[in-house]
Amino acid sequence: MTETTLQQTAPPARQPLLARRYTLEIRQQLAWPWQALVIALALLVGLAICTAILIAAGVPASELLNEFIVQTLLDAQNLRAVLFQAAPMIMVGLAGCMAFRARFWNLGLEGQMIWGAIGATAISLFEVGPPVLRLPLMMAAAIVCGMLWTLAPILLKLRLKVNEIISTLMLNYIAANFLLHLVYGSWKDPRDNFPYSPPFKAFERLPDLFAGYNVAIVLALLVTGLTLWFVGISRAGLYLRFVDANPRVAGAVGVPVRKMIIGTVLLSGALAGVAGFVVTAGQEGRLTQSFYQGYGFSGILIAFLARNNPVAATVVALLIALLFVAGRSLQVFYQIPFAMVQLIQAILVICVASSDFFIRHRLRRIQAGDR
Amino acid sequence: MDLLTHWLGSAPDFAVPFALAALGLILTERAGVLALGAEGLMLVGALAGIGMQLALGLPGLSLLLSMLAAALVSLLFALMVLVLRINQVIAGLALVFFCQGLTSLLGTLLGWTNRPVSGLQAVQIWPLSELPVVGKLFEQNPLVYLTVLIFFAVVWLLQRTHTGLRLRAVGENPQAADAAGISVLGFRLAAIVGGAALIGLAGGYIAVLSTKMWIADMTGGRGWIAVSLVIFARWSPWRALAGALLFGGIEALIPQLAAAGVRLPQYFVLMTPYAVTLLVMTWVAMGKRATGSQPGALGEPYIREERR
Repeated sequence: MTETTLQQTAPPARQPLLARRYTLEIRQQLAWPWQALVIALALLVGLAICTAILIAAGVPASELLNEFIVQTLLDAQNLRAVLFQAAPMIMVGLAGCMAFRARFWNLGLEGQMIWGAIGATAISLFEVGPPVLRLPLMMAAAIVCGMLWTLAPILLKLRLKVNEIISTLMLNYIAANFLLHLVYGSWKDPRDNFPYSPPFKAFERLPDLFAGYNVAIVLALLVTGLTLWFVGISRAGLYLRFVDANPRVAGAVGVPVRKMIIGTVLLSGALAGVAGFVVTAGQEGRLTQSFYQGYGFSGILIAFLARNNPVAATVVALLIALLFVAGRSLQVFYQIPFAMVQLIQAILVICVASSDFFIRHRLRRIQAGDR
Repeated sequence: MDLLTHWLGSAPDFAVPFALAALGLILTERAGVLALGAEGLMLVGALAGIGMQLALGLPGLSLLLSMLAAALVSLLFALMVLVLRINQVIAGLALVFFCQGLTSLLGTLLGWTNRPVSGLQAVQIWPLSELPVVGKLFEQNPLVYLTVLIFFAVVWLLQRTHTGLRLRAVGENPQAADAAGISVLGFRLAAIVGGAALIGLAGGYIAVLSTKMWIADMTGGRGWIAVSLVIFARWSPWRALAGALLFGGIEALIPQLAAAGVRLPQYFVLMTPYAVTLLVMTWVAMGKRATGSQPGALGEPYIREERR
């Protein structure tokens, strides 16, 4: 009896450092401030790596803060550019969120953007509807085209279990080639020799609200509100969480699982289509051959970093837009290829994904008495 | 007739990258690791090969470096999926995007873009190369013949050796394999690195021997086609080889038809490999054949602490 109490109260024998053994344990739960700290640390590590790469690529270290923060946020013209860039970014980010909430790897965001842009351009080229209705019609066409381009991979997945990662990616390549067919072919601007469509008329372009701030960002925020309502308040959103948690149980209690998945992924395609419309009718003012590049990956990245939350996605999308604008300026001033932006995004994703390990596991020292 | 001869002659050149990448993927996925990163690793192999070729001009060494570079980058993937246990789909996608960014950045910064290199001389296998019609099939660069050897080596390794048996056990049922004293993580690491070397070789082949120059994103989705090839080959090397020949044949047909003066809308022709991939995937899925040949633990991280 006394012996056991002695054993319990005695401090564990101090082991020499090298003889200590550790084991990996799965953590049940980590309080959210700690989670936030781990993720912040991961982002910090990622940013440090990116900074090192940027300096190695020839950007002076003293200029980095200037390029990324001062130039983009404190300069009125660049701030407008960031907000303008953020609009399609928010939409592809939300498109990613929607698809992932239905557990559907929609890697076809670029293809759906292309079709959205093609739909909108078709309305402009063939002058459908009166001028007042032209912009809404273009947007509607973009929504329909984006949805239609998503339909095949959803049905293939639900009916035949065809892997949607591959099918959506293949459809991207097909859409990109079709876009080239149009802008080098029948839709080419006859007035010059570049691969793009004739420019949109003034009433077919997204107007500025005031002082050069484009209406696109308002549209994007409206869409954020709508998706927030969809996932947070509407009945469909509740069903969707149910389907996400356990599709079989959801089906058993009468939730229309297939309809929910189809509807949500179609919504994702529609959002990507609208993003395509925003880029063509806002930034470019015509259908160009490579307007979509970089958005597909960014959309997935935004959804991943935001954990499929619409509000978080909007914030992350703003930051990514800032990165895009800064990346373009680096391209001009330091001849850094735009691929740098993609590399930075990939590094950040890898770091944040890695941080999950530290949230879910912990190291524990094996005490002398333990097995 | 001439068209047929030239088509047959050029088909292996297009089929080899698919075959090598698919073999690498099968090696990795048979160990239970879902390898979506092929597109990225091919780009790494391609860039490394071109860099070496521009520096020294020795194709053998360049291709070796392709393999080494891809194997090195795959260590990052191994770190993500084996040590940090990140979802393998996310890790694979992140790897592709990382490699795309890295290679197009380096290609531009180092000035390797659009600089032509010399490839390898074709080697004739004498009596066979004199045959009518199919003769051109036996007038290929050495790596085509080497690919055949690699293919048999991988098939032998997977299906006729103890090592292959253990590797497949790790992919089918890691718990049982672990209980039997097989190092699950060790085999998976080896499979990732070995598979990546083959995928890198595929990329090096495209850049150094086929296209003979570096262009950003030059693999153009071939890595993804290889991924789907492995799915509809149901992880069998033989069926994957047949698929590689099919896709190689289709890709080889495009320039031959153009040379023969057949007028086709260019961009629709460029769509065909992707469209065919979709069609074949759909067709195979409709066939309702047993999907039991998928490695049982594909895509699932093995976590000993969660052992049941």
